[in-house]
Amino acid sequence: MSAKTQIVDFDSAGIAYGDAAETLSDVNFQLAEGEFRFLTGPSGAGKTTLLKMIYLALKPTRGQFFLFGEDAMNAPREALPSLRRRIGVVFQEFRLLDHLTAFDNVALPMKVAGVNQNQYREDVSELLNWVGLGDRMDARPPTLSGGEQQRVALARALVSKPDLILADEPTGNVDPAMSERIMKLFVELNKLGAAVMVATHDLHLVQSLGKPVLRIADGKVTRAPGAGGAA
Amino acid sequence: MSETIPTAAPPLHDYDREPRRESGPRKRRLFDRWRQDPLLPEAGAGGAPLTAVIAVMSFLAVLAMASVIIINQSAGRWTRDLRSEITVQVKGASAAEIAASASAAMRILDGVDGVLEARQQSATETTALLEPWLGKDNASAFLTVPALIEVKIDPRAPPDLELLRGQLAAAAPGASLDDHAVWHDRLETAAQSGQALSFLVFALIMGAACAISVFAARAGLAANHEIVSVLHLVGATDDFIAAEVQRRFFVLGLRGALAGLAAALAALAGAAFMLDAGVGRDSFLPRFTVGGWQALWLLAVPLATCLVTALTARLTVLKTLQRQY
Repeated sequence: MSAKTQIVDFDSAGIAYGDAAETLSDVNFQLAEGEFRFLTGPSGAGKTTLLKMIYLALKPTRGQFFLFGEDAMNAPREALPSLRRRIGVVFQEFRLLDHLTAFDNVALPMKVAGVNQNQYREDVSELLNWVGLGDRMDARPPTLSGGEQQRVALARALVSKPDLILADEPTGNVDPAMSERIMKLFVELNKLGAAVMVATHDLHLVQSLGKPVLRIADGKVTRAPGAGGAA
Repeated sequence: MSETIPTAAPPLHDYDREPRRESGPRKRRLFDRWRQDPLLPEAGAGGAPLTAVIAVMSFLAVLAMASVIIINQSAGRWTRDLRSEITVQVKGASAAEIAASASAAMRILDGVDGVLEARQQSATETTALLEPWLGKDNASAFLTVPALIEVKIDPRAPPDLELLRGQLAAAAPGASLDDHAVWHDRLETAAQSGQALSFLVFALIMGAACAISVFAARAGLAANHEIVSVLHLVGATDDFIAAEVQRRFFVLGLRGALAGLAAALAALAGAAFMLDAGVGRDSFLPRFTVGGWQALWLLAVPLATCLVTALTARLTVLKTLQRQY
């Protein structure tokens, strides 16, 4: 069996905000292509910080970090956008652009990649229909409920068919049925080859899918024992 | 991956925990198919205040450029007049001596190549020139007023003035030739100074427009920090974001610049109308009209203003973004 390519590779990485003590230290883990990981831990443990490092919003202050085989800590600034385009992120706070319609929010990754509108119009419409917002494409985020906004954020993360999907509490604002649908979608996308990492508090969800789990506590990232196979 | 997404989605409206605020059906408009919301909101880039400031800058810049053109036109007209005319002044101890020398001077002038016309001013015309200082009819009573001969010359083939001076000195005692060179030089110097000053004002206005654009672009980036951050995270390059800002500033700048141009043209037309009404069209004063190809310079000013605004904003944004991860 051939070795899978490592999509995310942290080696003794750490991050500190300013002169404060490190929020995360000695981060050592890899995420190979096609892998699915849950990320759990108490509030404030650093789950979002770890995801931010992966989607290149924060730079580790020490150690090494490779993303899609590129040295993300020393890559030239011009190389970062192409790496970011391979990642779909569902932000915990959605981060939708209030002045754009739901359609334009979902289409944003395609626009910045310079894709012609005719090429992505169908995908965007299909995704919005799937998340139940087919009749709200022209609505702007302030007029959408929290659940609807989360679904728009989900559609935006998936529209560019990313190699890596990161989701920060993606089920935090939706009901159990929608939550189940979203997780099934992640599993389906994972089967198609996308690596997925989901940060969540929902241990029931974690246990129900039986996927490997990374746990963050006291600034350390560890593999949770016995959680759905080897990490 | 989207091809695997089931399209038969169950109804989801009951799931929402928060009450839905209806946005209402949006009225479809013409060109909606092609219309796209700008990625940076209008208000964030300074909006109306920036447009107003650019309008004022454009107004002042157009006036500065117009003054360059008007000074150039007026100086050209004045020096053209001076170049096409010389004056012969004949002094003498008595009226008879002056008349004799003036007649001799006229005879010489009539035979010189390059002289188009020579006309001796009448005594009435000459004494009238002294009236502002000596009062009406006072000059001839106690002064021997010199004779003045207006000589129109061909500016393209002027006579040899040094030769003419020699001929006049030999045949017409007391006659002197004034080629207006002193006035011509002074006018040229004054015109060049005026033009340089106007260019300086124009450059300062453009510099101020740059400075304002820098502040507005920085303020716009600060106000739109979240939007810029999201754009980065979904893979936008610095160039993409800078191009969005540049487009935004170009549109704002163009609106303001055209408004400024319109106001400046109205001001120039008003000034020209009042001057014509006050002193007439034949006055030696500068005329506030810009015609022909020179008018293109005025039209270029608003374009230059909004280009300067947009490019400055672009460079500011690129420089600011370079400091981010």
